[in-house]
Amino acid sequence: MTIPVLEIRNLHARIEEREILKGVNLVIPPGQVHAIMGRNGSGKSTLSYVLAGKEDYEVTEGEVLLNGENILEMEPDERAAAGLFLAFQYPIEIPGVATMTFLKAAINAQRKARGEGELSTPDFMRAVKEAGAQLNIDSEMLKRPLNVGFSGGEKKRAEILQMALLKPSLAVLDETDSGLDIDALQVVARGVNALRDGERSMLVITHYQRLLNHIVPDVVHVFSDGRIVESGDKELALKLEAQGYAGYDGQAA
Amino acid sequence: MRPNFPVRLGPAEETLIAQLKSVGAEQAAERISVAGLPTRRVESYHYTDLKTLLRTIPPLGQPANEASAPALRVPGAFQLMIANGVVQNAATAPAGVIVGTAHGGVLTNRDDVIVNVSNALAKEALSLTLESSVDPVIQIDRRIEGEAAHVADALKIFVADGASAVILETFSGSDAAHVGNHASYLALGKNAVVTHITIDLSARAVSHFATNEYHLADGAQLRTLVIHAGAGLARTHLFPTLSGPGAHTDLTGLNLVSDGQHVDITMETLHAVPNTSSKPLFKSITRGRSKAVVQGKLVVARDAQKTDAKLMSQGLMLSDEAEILSKPELEIYADDVVCGHGSTCGKLDEDSLFYLLSRGIPKAEAETMLVRGFIAELLDPVEDEALNEALQGIVDGWLLGGK
Repeated sequence: MTIPVLEIRNLHARIEEREILKGVNLVIPPGQVHAIMGRNGSGKSTLSYVLAGKEDYEVTEGEVLLNGENILEMEPDERAAAGLFLAFQYPIEIPGVATMTFLKAAINAQRKARGEGELSTPDFMRAVKEAGAQLNIDSEMLKRPLNVGFSGGEKKRAEILQMALLKPSLAVLDETDSGLDIDALQVVARGVNALRDGERSMLVITHYQRLLNHIVPDVVHVFSDGRIVESGDKELALKLEAQGYAGYDGQAA
Repeated sequence: MRPNFPVRLGPAEETLIAQLKSVGAEQAAERISVAGLPTRRVESYHYTDLKTLLRTIPPLGQPANEASAPALRVPGAFQLMIANGVVQNAATAPAGVIVGTAHGGVLTNRDDVIVNVSNALAKEALSLTLESSVDPVIQIDRRIEGEAAHVADALKIFVADGASAVILETFSGSDAAHVGNHASYLALGKNAVVTHITIDLSARAVSHFATNEYHLADGAQLRTLVIHAGAGLARTHLFPTLSGPGAHTDLTGLNLVSDGQHVDITMETLHAVPNTSSKPLFKSITRGRSKAVVQGKLVVARDAQKTDAKLMSQGLMLSDEAEILSKPELEIYADDVVCGHGSTCGKLDEDSLFYLLSRGIPKAEAETMLVRGFIAELLDPVEDEALNEALQGIVDGWLLGGK
């Protein structure tokens, strides 16, 4: 059997004294796109932060395997080098750090961690230009400080650009559709779909079904009160859109 | 009242008084006899109590026999040197620059001990007249060499109407416990455009005092950048006077403060006439057990309507023991002005750090990126590429320097 790209076993996590993840189980085989849907406060974003290794959360139980390797003991930068990428719901603005400088540092840090040589400047420029063109990102935008003064759409496109350049084996997209108008959503979805190559897996976290019209998932999971309560194919998303999450709250309680 | 209750004088004060008397500066000596060195009760020295911080004053400096290499090399710069207070022969001056010497005592007298001592002890000043725009960066290498010495040196620069220049001062020398008292006087003619950068790269044992006095005529544009990255005790006092309408100044400064250091930027800007503007922006980065001080005072004269001034002080604390003290003061006598001040202080932002880590950038590198980012708006306006690179090198050197 092929090793899943992501395997989450009975994951429990808390922030301070409050338990937020209460036994998450999830397996994503290579090349598949899974969606997690759930209402606000159900713990979806917490799951993404716990996967990426944010310090505020404490894992109390369970395992997370990325390509068969337990990543819970790894620092966030080590997880990234191991192939994990989190597209943030709210990308952070970092004044004074030029976007290009940041991109180059990220790419080369990951290459170094994997024992590969640094990318030459011409190769780097070429890669950025190619990836940027698909996402309507021009060089003017890349000259600005990282995410500073970017519109909502620009921030999300910049996230996808990073994903295209860093080539993760697992991309976690946290509410990538939030704050996007329909045109921007299509650009972002096109960028994401271009990175579906039969190998790379994705976990798409969203509140609305709308995004899933554009990034069509192989499996849809319903998230409620810190765990997955139902899984199905893409039709499940449509059912949720029609009926809401109310039915699951009772079930989960 | 004071003469009846003379302050108790310490060894530093006794030495200073003797040195002032030895050059015939009776009045300056008398002031110290009566008041002593300023303590925290003197408002402008509130956080930099010289009576406590300055325990000894070394003997007055003698002309230096040897000089070490320049503390900072900027390719293409025109370099001048003042060593132990004495102006050295310079290479051929570039077009537009007249180099000479003048009497010391270049600062306007005011109630400030550092200013008074400078005016009394500085024997000669390097004098520069910039008749027209000067292309190369003008670097004045001010150094104190040899055994521990008390040195007062001076610089006086006139910039003609419409001329532009980039002037860099570097302070360095041997690693003895010097006390340096460095005066710089810059007068900018109408519409002159000047960038003035002063960098303290002295040894840790040094006590470094600099006073920069600026006069801006109509439409003159001044950008300053003070960098403290050397002496254990450092204080730069900025006195800009905007005396012509349309004059503008961006006063910036950077305190890079490591364990055991006490570093202070104090500014007192006078908006003397209507329609002038200033934008002071000072940043401090502290680590270990250290102290950074930023005091900024904006004075708006009674007639100086339409003054536009915004003072900002930002601090970044890299350790729990570091202290950053920030004090803004507004003294406004006009009634139609826009004046403001702000101050922030904190640690590296956790969310920003996590974002960089999540992209695979290791922690130490991510922290360096954030610190550089914090400083960028001070260095970015320096357009000369070689100079900008040299400044970045100082910051990087400090970051690599550990505690």
